[in-house]
Amino acid sequence: MASSSQIQPQPGAGRIAAAMAGQPQAVLIVLLLLLCGAISLAAAQFYSLANIIAILRQSALVLIVAAGMTTLLIGGEVDLSVGASLAFTGCVAMDATNRSGSVPVGALAALAFAGAVGLFNGLVVTRLRVNSLIATIATMMILQGGVYLYTREAVQNQHHLAAFTGIGAGYLGAFPIPVLLAAAVFAAVYIALRHTLFGRYTYALGANPIAARLSGLRVRRLKLAGFVITGLLVGVTGLILCSLMNAGQPTAGRGFELTVIAAVILGGTSLAGGRGSLIGTLLGVLVLKVIDNGIIILRWNQDFQMVVPGVVIVAATWLDTVRVRRRAV
Amino acid sequence: MPQSRNLLRVLTRRSEGPLLLCLLAVIGFFALASDTFLSVRNITNVLGQASLAMMAGIGVAIVFISGEVDVSCGSLLAAVAIPLIVVMNATNSLALGIAAALALGGVVGVVNGFLAAYLRINSLIVTLGTLFVLRGGVYLYTGQTAIPDDAGLESFFQLGNGRLAGVLPYPAVAALVLLLVFAYVMGHRPFGRHVFAAGGNPDVARLAGYDVPRIKFAGFVVSALLATCAGIMLASRLGSAVHVAGLGFEFQVVAAVVLGGVSLSGGVGSLFGMALGVLILSFLANGLGMLDLATEWQLVVTGAIIIAAVSFDEFKRRQKL
Amino acid sequence: MNVRLAILLATTAALAPLTVLPARADEVPKHIGYVVNYATHEWYQNVIKGMKDHAKLLGIDVAVKDANLDVAKEVAGAEDFMSQKVDVLIITPVNEEGVVPLLRRAKAEGVPVVLEGNPVKGMTTMVAICDYDTGYFAGIEAGKYAQAHLGGVAKVMNVGLPLLSATVLRSYGFMDGIHTIIPGATLVHDLDGGGNPDRSLEVSSAALAQNGDIDIIYGINDSSSLGGLQAWKAAGKSQDNLLVVGTGGEGLAFINAMEKEPSYRIEAAMFPEKEGYTTIDAALALYNHKPVAEHIVSPTTPLVGDDWKKYYEVNGTTRSIKWDAVNALTPPAKCMKTAADLKKS
Repeated sequence: MASSSQIQPQPGAGRIAAAMAGQPQAVLIVLLLLLCGAISLAAAQFYSLANIIAILRQSALVLIVAAGMTTLLIGGEVDLSVGASLAFTGCVAMDATNRSGSVPVGALAALAFAGAVGLFNGLVVTRLRVNSLIATIATMMILQGGVYLYTREAVQNQHHLAAFTGIGAGYLGAFPIPVLLAAAVFAAVYIALRHTLFGRYTYALGANPIAARLSGLRVRRLKLAGFVITGLLVGVTGLILCSLMNAGQPTAGRGFELTVIAAVILGGTSLAGGRGSLIGTLLGVLVLKVIDNGIIILRWNQDFQMVVPGVVIVAATWLDTVRVRRRAV
Repeated sequence: MPQSRNLLRVLTRRSEGPLLLCLLAVIGFFALASDTFLSVRNITNVLGQASLAMMAGIGVAIVFISGEVDVSCGSLLAAVAIPLIVVMNATNSLALGIAAALALGGVVGVVNGFLAAYLRINSLIVTLGTLFVLRGGVYLYTGQTAIPDDAGLESFFQLGNGRLAGVLPYPAVAALVLLLVFAYVMGHRPFGRHVFAAGGNPDVARLAGYDVPRIKFAGFVVSALLATCAGIMLASRLGSAVHVAGLGFEFQVVAAVVLGGVSLSGGVGSLFGMALGVLILSFLANGLGMLDLATEWQLVVTGAIIIAAVSFDEFKRRQKL
Repeated sequence: MNVRLAILLATTAALAPLTVLPARADEVPKHIGYVVNYATHEWYQNVIKGMKDHAKLLGIDVAVKDANLDVAKEVAGAEDFMSQKVDVLIITPVNEEGVVPLLRRAKAEGVPVVLEGNPVKGMTTMVAICDYDTGYFAGIEAGKYAQAHLGGVAKVMNVGLPLLSATVLRSYGFMDGIHTIIPGATLVHDLDGGGNPDRSLEVSSAALAQNGDIDIIYGINDSSSLGGLQAWKAAGKSQDNLLVVGTGGEGLAFINAMEKEPSYRIEAAMFPEKEGYTTIDAALALYNHKPVAEHIVSPTTPLVGDDWKKYYEVNGTTRSIKWDAVNALTPPAKCMKTAADLKKS
């Protein structure tokens, strides 16, 4: 890659990318607008209130976990166990609520369980020094098996508490509760990453772990925090999903980890650590969920729900790579 | 005596030492715990079952060592079976079918390699994309049904189901041959040196005059072709192109490769380590099944053993430093 | 015990027309190996339960290996059973084409094979429900319900699974059945819910936003129908003019729904326990070289309202099957449509 070729104006996508080189996430914003516009023109139901709420609710489920995953990836680690943990957490939440007859107890049980899974992942990675990819694949297997040891079938709702149903399907004012929860999580993680020492250290750690350690950062504790945060957020999502499905489903969450990771990397977070933003993740989640929804709204063959995101992820990342390189010149 | 002590030292010194001990421990345990585990028939069965992950694992390990990632093998397994069966049904020729499968595999490898090595798009994203696109493509093309083998060639049946001298399954033979060939290439040929250099320190490799993108590109093509070989063997064992074949296969392979000590950050790893990783997981699955352990326990135990094996490996490696 | 003996006698009687020499006592196989496609699914948990209960009574050891939806693992499991020298192999194919070579290898080794669920080229016998018929009769009941309670209007959302021929047949059967009562019935949404509750919820939410003017939700299994119903509830819609029809009756979920959800009125029950029970009988017959039908049909029936209480009893979180009632159901001799018909069209 000779540097002279990068100075020359490039046709097509390259020029568009160049025009927006100043804005991070520009590619995704344009993509999202194009998608929404095109789908709306083809099918007016797309921008109906009911559909917007459906999209936002689905996005909320992914975004909450993706916020934790973004933090982890920025710090140079990854967690593939979130899908399996999601299913298990839902069963724990429903079971605890059935036994106690109390929604707060059920919610706390969900958070405690999922937080403990995060802690376990974090300890295996930081203390036993197992690569996080393999460690969390192992945790995924343990959880997938464990959930069936815990319950042979879906945990049914026997408590019939309206507050429990409200977590997933309820509204506060005009806003669905899952969307508000996602907004709160988003704001908290955004501030933590942008405006606290925790955030600054996490970026430093991911960018250069050796330098981070030499400059006295408590690397292990930072990483552990990332895993526990991700775990707790899985707890929140598990609770919402369990409420939405009105049952603790051991079969839920299949492939959820791939959706989350796809959204985060689509949002421009680097897998190598040290680079990424939560706004990007938000856009990544929305793009993927709009595509998913749009294919049904347009009544296309649902097999495209696999093909289109695959192409979009690769293309968007390529455009982003081009944009970053042009800005670097 | 001195010879055996020597052997022991070699075993514990080499990076594969702890893994070999792990494998022997797994085999020893099941030999004692199950009365049907330790038979020639069962051991050769497992070697045959392990061969798919072994073949694909060679390629994935090479890509990992070159500093990139390839997770597309699961969908590729299902995708290459389609041209194989379709061409074979049309022409009645196994050779043409295999050629068609390799052609598709090669194209996928070229696409992966071009996007990742030359356009420099993150390879996890590229191959995750191919994973989705290929699986969706298979579903669209087949309308979500399997394509049966109507040619019914005996050679095609034998390929995945027959045994060399009635003992060793052909897929195991193929995997062993490929393992030896590529272990030799990686250890003793310039290509291997280049791959290690490109993954270990790409800047230095570039300054030393290596064409790093070309090396990485070659890694992706090799990886896709090896996954194609696994796909052909699987198609023969299934007697058809099954649209759901290989779902989650990429997880198995990546788990085995990383268990085998191949570093995700590039430049480190050995194919024998990868092979040991595959064998540990395969014997584990087989042995746990022989003990009549329910799936849920199998998953829990396998997960726990992966963590134990990798931390043991890490511990050993750190001790050496 | 008495009940079980009665069942045993009843089954022998049912098989009597097929057997030539019923006087001689059957040889009982020692070990049966069952390779299941998806052991953790509730349906198969209950198939295994029915198998093991029946086998225990006969003094047969049944071992299970789970393919966990992986075709390669299915081949490996069958291979392992053959090297363990089981007397009979029972297989539920992950994919019906994918076990053709396995049947050939089992034949070469002299191991008889019973298939469960899906037919395979070159098989001796298969125990299976009729998927199309199951959907069809549920469709008729749904049509009658729509006549009585929904003003004769039937606009259907099918939460389907195109991946498997069995589930496609159920959806076709349902629509054909409903058309016999309400010729103007329409299929508004034909969805792929992946057979999963969360995916079904997601795709149904989008479909209802696209067009919410439906009054019947059909699910190819209970997870799919419940996912569809939850999407309906999450969209804030009333269940007043809605009918939900589930399929399978594989666990407690449908009983819970029929008790608590006003719209969940019909379940196409498929009695997995009975299916497992029948496969053991088929294995026994094959082992004794008795003639067996190519397709041994396991009964299904639509359950409306409180009908489920005839066949099941619930104690806390476990359910038990009422064998007398289930064994009294007469399955059809032949299915109206099978996967083979699907390929023709």
